[in-house]
Amino acid sequence: MDKIIRKFTMRKYLRYYSVMLGSVILMFVVSCGNRTPHSNSDQRNKSATDNSEQEAVENYHAGSDLAGDTKPLPIYGNWHNFTTKDGLPSDKAYCVRIAGARVLVGTHDGLAVYEKGKWTTYTTKDGLPHNGVVSIDVSAVTGDVWIGTLGGLSCWSGGKFETFNQLNSGLPNDLIYCVICDQKDVWVATAGGAGHYDTYSKEWEIFTEKNAPMHEPWTYGVSAGAGKIYIAAWGGGVIEYTSKSKQFKDYTDPDGEMEIDLLPDDGIVHDVTTATSWANGYLWVSTYFGLSRYDGTHWKGFFDHDCGLASNFINFVRAKGSVVFVCTDRGLSCTNGRSWVTYKKNDNNKDGMAVVLNYGRADDDTKNKSTREIPLSPSISHNFTIGVDADGDKLWVATSQGVSCGQLLK
Amino acid sequence: MGVLIALGLLIYFPGRKMAREHVNTKTAVSDHPLLCSKCHLYTSENALVSKLLNEDYYSPFNLAISKDGSRLYVVAQEANSLLVVDVEKQQIINKIKVGNQPHTVILSKNGQKAYVSNQWSDNVSVVDLIAAKVVDTLKTGNGPAGLSLSADGQFLYVVNSYASTISLIDLKSGEELKRFTTGNNPTGVNLSPDEKTLLITSRRAIIAPYGEPVVSELTEIDERTQRVTNRHNIESAYMMENVAFTPAGDLAIVSLNRPKNLVPSIQVEQGWMMNYGIAIVEQKKNGRVIQLLLDEPNAFYPDPFGIAITPDGKKAFVSSSGVNCISVVNIDSIRSLISKSTTEELNSLSNNLGISDHYISKRITTGSDPKGLVISHDGKRLYVAEQLEDKIAIINSETFDKIGSIDLNGPKRITVNRTGRRLFNNSGHTFQNQFSCYTCHPDMHEDGLVYNMAAKDMGRNLTNTQSLREIHHTPPYKWNGKNQTVYKQDGIRFSTVLTRTEQFNYPDLDAITAYILTGIQYPPNLQFNPSGVLTKSQQQGKKIFERKTDNYGAAIPVNNRCITCHNPPYYTNLKLADVGTLAASDDSTQFDTPHLNNIYASAPYLHDGRAATLEEIWTKYGQTDKHGKVNDLTKIQLNDLIDFLKSLRAPRYEKKSTK
Repeated sequence: MDKIIRKFTMRKYLRYYSVMLGSVILMFVVSCGNRTPHSNSDQRNKSATDNSEQEAVENYHAGSDLAGDTKPLPIYGNWHNFTTKDGLPSDKAYCVRIAGARVLVGTHDGLAVYEKGKWTTYTTKDGLPHNGVVSIDVSAVTGDVWIGTLGGLSCWSGGKFETFNQLNSGLPNDLIYCVICDQKDVWVATAGGAGHYDTYSKEWEIFTEKNAPMHEPWTYGVSAGAGKIYIAAWGGGVIEYTSKSKQFKDYTDPDGEMEIDLLPDDGIVHDVTTATSWANGYLWVSTYFGLSRYDGTHWKGFFDHDCGLASNFINFVRAKGSVVFVCTDRGLSCTNGRSWVTYKKNDNNKDGMAVVLNYGRADDDTKNKSTREIPLSPSISHNFTIGVDADGDKLWVATSQGVSCGQLLK
Repeated sequence: MGVLIALGLLIYFPGRKMAREHVNTKTAVSDHPLLCSKCHLYTSENALVSKLLNEDYYSPFNLAISKDGSRLYVVAQEANSLLVVDVEKQQIINKIKVGNQPHTVILSKNGQKAYVSNQWSDNVSVVDLIAAKVVDTLKTGNGPAGLSLSADGQFLYVVNSYASTISLIDLKSGEELKRFTTGNNPTGVNLSPDEKTLLITSRRAIIAPYGEPVVSELTEIDERTQRVTNRHNIESAYMMENVAFTPAGDLAIVSLNRPKNLVPSIQVEQGWMMNYGIAIVEQKKNGRVIQLLLDEPNAFYPDPFGIAITPDGKKAFVSSSGVNCISVVNIDSIRSLISKSTTEELNSLSNNLGISDHYISKRITTGSDPKGLVISHDGKRLYVAEQLEDKIAIINSETFDKIGSIDLNGPKRITVNRTGRRLFNNSGHTFQNQFSCYTCHPDMHEDGLVYNMAAKDMGRNLTNTQSLREIHHTPPYKWNGKNQTVYKQDGIRFSTVLTRTEQFNYPDLDAITAYILTGIQYPPNLQFNPSGVLTKSQQQGKKIFERKTDNYGAAIPVNNRCITCHNPPYYTNLKLADVGTLAASDDSTQFDTPHLNNIYASAPYLHDGRAATLEEIWTKYGQTDKHGKVNDLTKIQLNDLIDFLKSLRAPRYEKKSTK
């Protein structure tokens, strides 16, 4: 009976969160505030602000992590925000990817490419299957750009878009939440399951609850690392797929509680997962109820009440080296698992701050916690962040009110 | 004695009458000679008979030349060999076995190694030319064809013609580093003289709905970054076999066909079914692509294949295998034409039959089916691989005289099958030599285009070209199933409807029929079913293909099961059926059930080519469940079914696997 009640309760919650997620992804513009345009005085004050941001950082370095990486946590400032006024096709940005000298931004109204200070937009008129571009990845091998849209998958190569949809190919579903490239393979997380496309054999594989340990076919995220694929399966936690053995393993919330993490660090914090990202031996998993990290043996949970995480409602996560960038509904957080930097915009103006949180050297050393707020002017363009990418000294963030580019402060 | 004569007469006359009726039925004419051997012997598939009737030819296809000009390296496609030819002595000095159906040969920078792509083995043979033996075999993608070395000679680019990709192979490790998607069915590849740009041609057009103009892709790779940088749309063209650069690097020249498949085939009489020419691709920023015809108002030059440009950049030679001819193109005239004309004017020239005399200096007659060309490094000699002649023609590249011929010493007897193949590849039987069988059936397969075949009304009966591979046991022919035999298909009806000239005489008809029925093989299905062992997905798909009940347990009517109409080994029941695909423009109400072996290589699908992919047969055009019960399938099951269909291959390979 307990099982039945639990299953029923879970379904109820999943339905609720499904509706909530749909609302968030497709209609969050309704809830977004207007961005304050730059004024002349803003521009005049910019260089003075840049200096103050730099000075603040020089006086304060975010601490190193405990995983052996002694690099300080990077802090980004000198934010530059782009909206439709600057050439973006839409302020609703869903994703961002840095590809060499180009920055690719997925928006509600097409793919925007930033190159040499100019934005160029590509839409269905140019061959995109749908203007809602939700996910982008670039093949490290071929340089081809794979684009997940709300109406199919596209490979952008040599200036041409090749479209895959559920009618003309083995793509599981046209509603694509995430696409990644892993050597010759392309993986997608869709509303109809996870899909694997072998670019050599041009064959598709589909994974759903029918042939994989998933709760249902909806998948929101997928990432690759160390020969494994990690699928964020809606309501089903994380599905680990070993490419060589073609074996699955699932990671679900052991306590089964939908609203609280009953036993800390017993596993993934919640079954409703939104993204996964793997780097430096760690798997990071975002949920709407907190962040999880897995080192292959132990899980660790992170929540807004016990660390520097901006919010437990996490849209997306991307790990780069020892740093993970966490997109939440209340700002962008970065962490190495120990120190935190969170970028937040003020509600009433374009400015904001980077909140830096450092702990002592030991795992349980919460007494030596120190916090500092570094003023940013301007800040990121909106606190509802949904996509992020970092490369070199640049950090790009997709928000519900345009995209923001931050410069690494040294 | 009288009784015997009487008995003989009693048997002879009724017997002859029966034979006459039989032949009339099979050929759709009443005067085809009554000689049993014409059909029953020449089309026999008996191994012993076949061995006695046929010969093992070399069929030279492509060739390369040593830097000092003393050696020719000739790909002998039917002999699966690389022939090393002493040019001075005009004889073969080495015959090196390579893989199956070799396609292209190129030499290493130091000239000590040859690389030979083996289209039916999915690999490249590395030949040590000093030791005269294969020293390594490099694994490639499916159907390796054109080859090019990287600028530094450390990497090999291999065009995978069946997989529509190009592989980059590290020659040190022998490992494939990456694979790029190319145009549809690529073949030729060449590196620009400045060693910065690779161009890759494609033969099949990008699949598009009927009514949209044909567009094919010329893929451009930046050799320094090893990335695809451009995918040129070559409008109204396909069958781009090869590409060559001028030594100055200002132009690239591509051979091509310009099909007029959107107009009814009755236009053959107007000289308007198919044109042949070259694309001139300007090698500069925003360079234009200009198309010029090789054809003349009353003479066509079908199936252009090889291109070779002299070291001074003045002349290009283009082989037209459909008319046994080499056209000599004056490149300076083309440069002048381009410099004097606006883009609009140049675009208007692409269909102009009256302009070729401005830039064609000469037509050189060759032996049967000229294919690959190579020019000696001093620019004085042009060598031509005469595929169906088993010879290499030597032509003075300045006077254009044929100055010699290297006989590869293939069989001297020209068999009926060989005659049939020569006829198949030659356009001599069409009005003004407009096209050969090979034009629409390249590699004896199909060209991926949909034609508006002439019928009682214009604009009716759109027809997706069908493959001719191993069709002996799959009558009737044509989508409407009106031709019960190939004799009927290629006889009087063929000349009336399509070639618009004299029909084949009967010896020629017998020969081409014999060739079509016995001389054309499927390539092995190395991409989807190399060993006969099905993958898990293919096994699941096979179960769906053979199932009798749907996902809900309900019985599927016998006539709506895949296996009923598409039964092995050819996956056709040889009957007509209505699978819910009837279009308003169709005269027939039912269509021939197509054979399915190697079906992965025959996109688009359905009688009028409306389905761009196998998936679309059931996702877009199978909603009524008339083409098999499919609407209960999950997407995973549909993928499994398609994976199984892609695994189908010729019975010959199944038998080998069983053994």
